[in-house]
Amino acid sequence: MVPNQAPPTTATVTEPLPPLTRSTTLPAYPRTTTDRSLLTPEDAIYQGSPPRRLTEVRVPNGPSIAARLPRERHTVRNRSASRRRKGVWKKLLWVKQSYPDNYTDQATFLEHLQRNPRLQPYDFWPLVADSTVIVQHVCSVIIFIVCFVGIYEKGISPGAVVGWGSFGTLLGWGIWDWWVGQEDSKPSPPILTQPASASSSVSNLNIPQNGLAARHSHSASASSIHSTASQVPTPRTAPTNFSPNSNPLSPRTSLRLSTAKSALLIYFTLLGLSPILKSLTESTSADSIWAMSFMLFAINIFFFDYGTPAVSSSSMKAGIKNIPASLSTNAALMASTVLASRLPSTGQVFSLTLFSIEVFGLFPVFRRYARQRTWRGHVALTTALVLGAGGGIGVILGRGGDGEGIWDWPWKSGLMGLVIGVVITGLAMGGCSWWLIGLQKYKNEIHGPWDPARPIIRRHWEEY
Amino acid sequence: MPYNIAMVSDFFFPQPGGVESHIYQLSSKLIDRGHKVIIITHAYDGRTGVRYLTNGLKVYHVPFLVIYRASTFPTVFSFFPIFRNIVIREQIEIVHGHQSLSSLCHEAILHARTIGLRTVFTDHSLFGFADAASILTNKLLKFTLSDVDHVICVSHTSKENTVLRASLDPLMVSVIPNAVVAENFRPLNQPSYPSETFGNHVVPMPQHVGPHDTITIVVVSRLFYNKGTDLLVAAIPRILASHLSVRFIIAGSGPKAIDLEQMLERNALQDRVEMLGAIRHEEVRDVMVRGHIYLHPSLTEAFGTVIVEAASCGLYVVCTQVGGIPEVLPAHMTVFAKPEEDDLVVAIGKAIAALRSNKVRTERFHDQVKMMYSWTDVAERTERVYDGISGILSEADFYGYDAADAASWSATRGKAGVQSFALIDRLKRYYGCGIWAGKLFCLCVVIDYLLFLVLELLAPRDAIDIARNWPKKGKEERVSRERE
Repeated sequence: MVPNQAPPTTATVTEPLPPLTRSTTLPAYPRTTTDRSLLTPEDAIYQGSPPRRLTEVRVPNGPSIAARLPRERHTVRNRSASRRRKGVWKKLLWVKQSYPDNYTDQATFLEHLQRNPRLQPYDFWPLVADSTVIVQHVCSVIIFIVCFVGIYEKGISPGAVVGWGSFGTLLGWGIWDWWVGQEDSKPSPPILTQPASASSSVSNLNIPQNGLAARHSHSASASSIHSTASQVPTPRTAPTNFSPNSNPLSPRTSLRLSTAKSALLIYFTLLGLSPILKSLTESTSADSIWAMSFMLFAINIFFFDYGTPAVSSSSMKAGIKNIPASLSTNAALMASTVLASRLPSTGQVFSLTLFSIEVFGLFPVFRRYARQRTWRGHVALTTALVLGAGGGIGVILGRGGDGEGIWDWPWKSGLMGLVIGVVITGLAMGGCSWWLIGLQKYKNEIHGPWDPARPIIRRHWEEY
Repeated sequence: MPYNIAMVSDFFFPQPGGVESHIYQLSSKLIDRGHKVIIITHAYDGRTGVRYLTNGLKVYHVPFLVIYRASTFPTVFSFFPIFRNIVIREQIEIVHGHQSLSSLCHEAILHARTIGLRTVFTDHSLFGFADAASILTNKLLKFTLSDVDHVICVSHTSKENTVLRASLDPLMVSVIPNAVVAENFRPLNQPSYPSETFGNHVVPMPQHVGPHDTITIVVVSRLFYNKGTDLLVAAIPRILASHLSVRFIIAGSGPKAIDLEQMLERNALQDRVEMLGAIRHEEVRDVMVRGHIYLHPSLTEAFGTVIVEAASCGLYVVCTQVGGIPEVLPAHMTVFAKPEEDDLVVAIGKAIAALRSNKVRTERFHDQVKMMYSWTDVAERTERVYDGISGILSEADFYGYDAADAASWSATRGKAGVQSFALIDRLKRYYGCGIWAGKLFCLCVVIDYLLFLVLELLAPRDAIDIARNWPKKGKEERVSRERE
């Protein structure tokens, strides 16, 4: 593309153009290799569903090309003579060339075209590993629904649900606090080198789950496998209902105090709101509520931010990325609110709402952080969630414990659900990953000089 | 052989812009060459009905709903009746559409093929393949260009782009660049043209820049993201910091103007950077001649007329190496930079050094550009396209292949480089556009054809008056004018 060749020796446009034979537009060398990044014009025509494709012509020394240019095959041998006679065509506009305007130089035409320049082939196991993020989230949604159905139909004590939930939250907070303490004692860790765009680009896309997993798979696996504990999240993003140790007010202690304060605030607000929430949807029929909460949970799952938080040298606000996408969280909280409003007593409403905040508000933060910290913990958590969701569904749907025959024992349906859940999850994770890898052969991204360039700017004067 | 040509585009005066002036200049030069040209566009505020411009150029302002940036609402068929009327009234033979974002142009090409006219399409811009808007536009383009006689692009990069986007035969696409009216972009100390014609050709004074003279860098651009304003914002402070006697003049407006102003305030550069705001196209020359270097940091550009204008004004051009820009100007007029902040700063430094050491003969640029780009040349080359699609030029001349091979080609193209008008042939071409799109497009074409039959019945051809042509100058007069 360097346009500093000498002006042509050949003459002006005003003279009549010599009759151009087809052979002048032939490639200098028939392309025999199928280069993945280079295309010939025939390729371009072939690619984009040609409107006027004729026949498939098989060239002896080249790949088969379904071409609209079959006529040029006949003149392969006599091409070079006429080319030399005319002087070399240049891809310039300011020189007057003796070629007609529609001359297509086969040697240079589309030479800068790139196909799939940034293709990263996926590996099966990292892909499966990355899909655990989605599995985790779907499972926690299922567990929440199971808890609701349990309270609503089976008369499970809401106190037990929220008690276990709060216990889990406390435990999670404890672990998290311990991790943060560990990191604070360390010197500032090396920065993970992972592309910053990976997570932000996938955060709010409403595309199927395997697509999500695929897009961030590279960065996700990088960070999860080398769990080098590189990121210091700003702890103010994780409220909890733990009462702080009354140490002298170090930054961490004040932070604990403030989280405890916000936890208490949420707690009492919920307590005050529960009677209002209870009568919120009294005039709405149950069907509408089920449909609505289904929609909202679907929104929650599709819009959830499954990406890894970007850790780049410049992003000092990495902690903000630890908060999952707000649309998703809001949808889930609204769904749980309308579900809770179907419950008969204030206590149940309060319990379920508190539980939903724990599941949809706090748990994702913990999961996200756990995945960065320990890969084993992540796997264990995923397994526990899958087992819990499968077993819960089994218990809800089954009729165990009602005294039917010899195979009847109280946890039969739960166990069945557990097994089925594990099998289905395994199949889905493996199947979707395999499917996605299979789909890669259809990927056809075209780049070339016509694409808007991406400016590379060193200093950021402001956030663009 | 003179043709009756209709230029169709949504974009025409009074709206300013590159496509608009391209259509106007091309049309008036074609009229000079003896053709009859009319322009069909949509109604603008205060411009409705039929208007005559200089040289007997007739403009039809068709009333249409404008939705976005002067593009009309795409209604596939509603344009047909009035278009047919105009075409019959003006005895049009060739319909020439401009710009792929203009729905009027696409509809006109579709209807023109249904009526049985030759069609040409000129693409002025580049599109990617990735984002949703581009995918939609490209599909529509494929629809229209499935059945077009010839396509003109303004640069080779644009040709590659269009060939890919619309799956065209590369031989069906000609590259005819834009041009500038060199007379309107004279350097500062060059008198206007009439004085030259009387023989006293003024030798341009060499423009020397001493080592301590102030060098002024001019930027004339709309301040949008794709014009590279971010690069400008990042590069200006560094350039001004490293070169003390450099000033900037920035003309143009847009959403990124606020970034520039913030940068100026943060670095307190107001006295060294002059922001002029939006200027009219006529004033561009007056701004350009105040500077020594023209900086064009665009991120995408099909042709970049403005850098030709700048070179014509005698400015040394620094531009990013994107799109069709590397094809436009010779190397001794330009310094190319990658679209990166660092590289742009380096390139400006090189340009300043070259100017200070008087290596660049900017005073010669004007005459050189005048030789490279002229609208007369563009009109001649466009005329050759018209000759080719009308069968005046033989198929072998125009497409350049052996006549013996034409047999295999004739299934898609009629004899002598002429595309067949038969409905079944047209449907075949549209059908290949895609699994679903192909069928949809065929449906549209069939409906269009039925509409055509209905119109022939309701408004028969012989009931439509033929418009009188603008009285033409005598042949001798025209020839003498061309000599000038």
